[in-house]
Amino acid sequence: MSVNAWIVVGDQPAIGNLITVARSLGGPVGAVVAGPRSVAETVAASGVDKVVWCGTPDDVPAEASAQAVAETVAADPPRVVLAGRNPGERVLLGAAAARLKAAVLTGARTVSIDGDDVIVVNAVFGDIADETVAVSGPVALLLDGGPVPPPGGTTAPIEEVTATPLGLKVIETRTSGFDEVDLNTAHRVIGVGRGLKAKEDLAVIEALAEAISAEIACSRPVAEGLNWMGKDRYIGSSGAHIAPQLYLAIGISGQLQHMVGVQGAETIVAINSDPNAAVFAQTDYGLVGDLYQLVPAITAALK
Amino acid sequence: MRIVVAYKWTCDPEEATVRADGTVDWSRAKPGLSTYDPVAIELARQLAQAAGAELIGVTAGGKGVAVPIASKAALSRGLDRVVIVEDESLAEAGRSELAAVLAEVIRHIGDVDLIVTGDSSVDVAAKMVPTVLAGELGWPAVAEVTAVSGQAGALRVERAIPGGVQVLEVSGPAVLAASADAAVPRVPGMKELLAAAKKPVELLELASLKVPPGSAVMTVTGRSRPERKARKGQLIDTTDPAAAAAELVAALREAGTL
Repeated sequence: MSVNAWIVVGDQPAIGNLITVARSLGGPVGAVVAGPRSVAETVAASGVDKVVWCGTPDDVPAEASAQAVAETVAADPPRVVLAGRNPGERVLLGAAAARLKAAVLTGARTVSIDGDDVIVVNAVFGDIADETVAVSGPVALLLDGGPVPPPGGTTAPIEEVTATPLGLKVIETRTSGFDEVDLNTAHRVIGVGRGLKAKEDLAVIEALAEAISAEIACSRPVAEGLNWMGKDRYIGSSGAHIAPQLYLAIGISGQLQHMVGVQGAETIVAINSDPNAAVFAQTDYGLVGDLYQLVPAITAALK
Repeated sequence: MRIVVAYKWTCDPEEATVRADGTVDWSRAKPGLSTYDPVAIELARQLAQAAGAELIGVTAGGKGVAVPIASKAALSRGLDRVVIVEDESLAEAGRSELAAVLAEVIRHIGDVDLIVTGDSSVDVAAKMVPTVLAGELGWPAVAEVTAVSGQAGALRVERAIPGGVQVLEVSGPAVLAASADAAVPRVPGMKELLAAAKKPVELLELASLKVPPGSAVMTVTGRSRPERKARKGQLIDTTDPAAAAAELVAALREAGTL
C-alpha cells in the first residue's frame, strides 16, 4: 500500500486536525511516531491506515528520531506530509521535508488536490495576505494539530523501525510552576500586555477573569522576557491563535504580531491609556484610560 | 570550534500594506536585522567566548542582504566574520530552498560544530528554516532553546517544554533555534560599529554553491487580502470609569457575549 499522506508525530498524539486534512485528500494515510510507544498506540486506534513507530527510548527526545522519520517517509514518498506546530514536530517535519526536497508551507487555510498539483491557500507574512499556491511535487505542511483523536473503528498495525538516534539525550526535566492551558477551548479570554506595571497587579486581572469565567493570556513579552506566565499563554503570529466569543485586550498596544492571533474573536474589547494605540482600530469596543481604574470598575459592574 | 549564527536581513510586516488585490507593498518598510536574531547572536557569542570558538554569521537572500549596513548590523553584535549569499532569485525563495542554500554555505565554511538561529523570522515566522537545515545536514535540531553551556561535542542545552524546561545533552554538531528570551542582546556602541566595518565579509555566488534542486515547484496562482471580521470601532467615554464600565457590560450583555 502506498501512502498518499504521512502524519509526523512526536511526544503527543494531538493530531485530530491532521487526520481530517490528510483524509480529505483521499488515499491512504500513514503516521510515523517518534515519541513513546503509548503515543503510537493512540495514533494506531485513531483511524489512520498504517503506523510506523521509531522505537524511541525513554531518555531520548522525539527529535533524536528525525532521521528515522525522514527515512520512513522517503521510503514511501507521499504527496503531503503533515505535522503539528509544536517544537518537536517542527524538527521532525523539517527532516522529512529536507529528505523529500519538499516545499514547506506553514500558513495553510485549505489544502486540496487538483490533478498532479497540491493546492494550498496559504497565509503569508504573519497572516496579512493569502496566497493560493499550486505545488507539483511533495509538500510539507505545518498545521494546528487539533485534539487527540477519539478511537476509530479499526486499529492499524504498528510497524517498528530501529534506527540509531541522533545525539540527543534528556538529562533533566523541571516544571516551571505555571499551569498548562489550552486557550483554544476558552470562550472568553483576557489578554494582558505591558500596560500592566507589575506581576502583582495580575490580581486585578484575575478578579475580572473570575467574574466573567475567562482564561488569562498575554502578549509575547509578558511570557517571554517578563516571565509572568507560561509560554502557552501568549497570543500572536508565533503563539496561540484563538477564536473566543470575547477577547479583552488590556494594556496591549495592538501590534500586528499580536492581533493576528485574535482575528477569530467574535467581539474584541480594548483598554489602553494611549488613545493612539493601534489596538483601537481593530476592536468593537474601545476604552481609553487607566486600566487600574477601568478593570476594577468593570469587575464591579458585573456584580 | 566554529559556531555559525544564521541570521536574516528583512522587513517587518507591521510596516507593509496589503493592496486590494492581495499583493504586499513593502515600499515603506525599512529592512533590518530580523527581530529575534540579536538574541541568537548574543547567545552564540557568549558560548563562543566561553569556548574560545570562532563566531561566523551566515545569511542568504535577495538583493540587499549584502549591503554594508546589513553586514555591519550583524557584525557589530559580536560576530568575527560573515558569509553572505545575495541573489535576486532568493528574494522569493521558500523555506526549503533557503535551508538548502544555507546547508551548502555551512559545507563551504567547513568544520562547523554548531548552528544557532533566532526563534522565528519577523517576516515569514515559519520557524522551519532551522529544522530543514538540520535535516539537510543530517544533524539534530532543538527549538525553543533557553540556555546553552559546554563545549562542542558535549553541549548542555535547556529548552522550553509545555509546563517547564528540559535539559538535553547534545553530542556532535547540532542546530539550535533560540527562544526569544534566551539572551539579552547588547546594543552595539560606536566602538563595535567601527570594529564591524573592518571585519571580513565573504560574498558567495549562488551558482558556485551547486545547491541540489528541490523536487517541488511552487506556483502562486492567486493572491487575496484575507477577510477580516468587521469591527464596530465604538469608543466608550471613560470620563467616569464606573459609567464606562456599566456601558460596556450592558453592550456585551445585549450582544449575548456575557
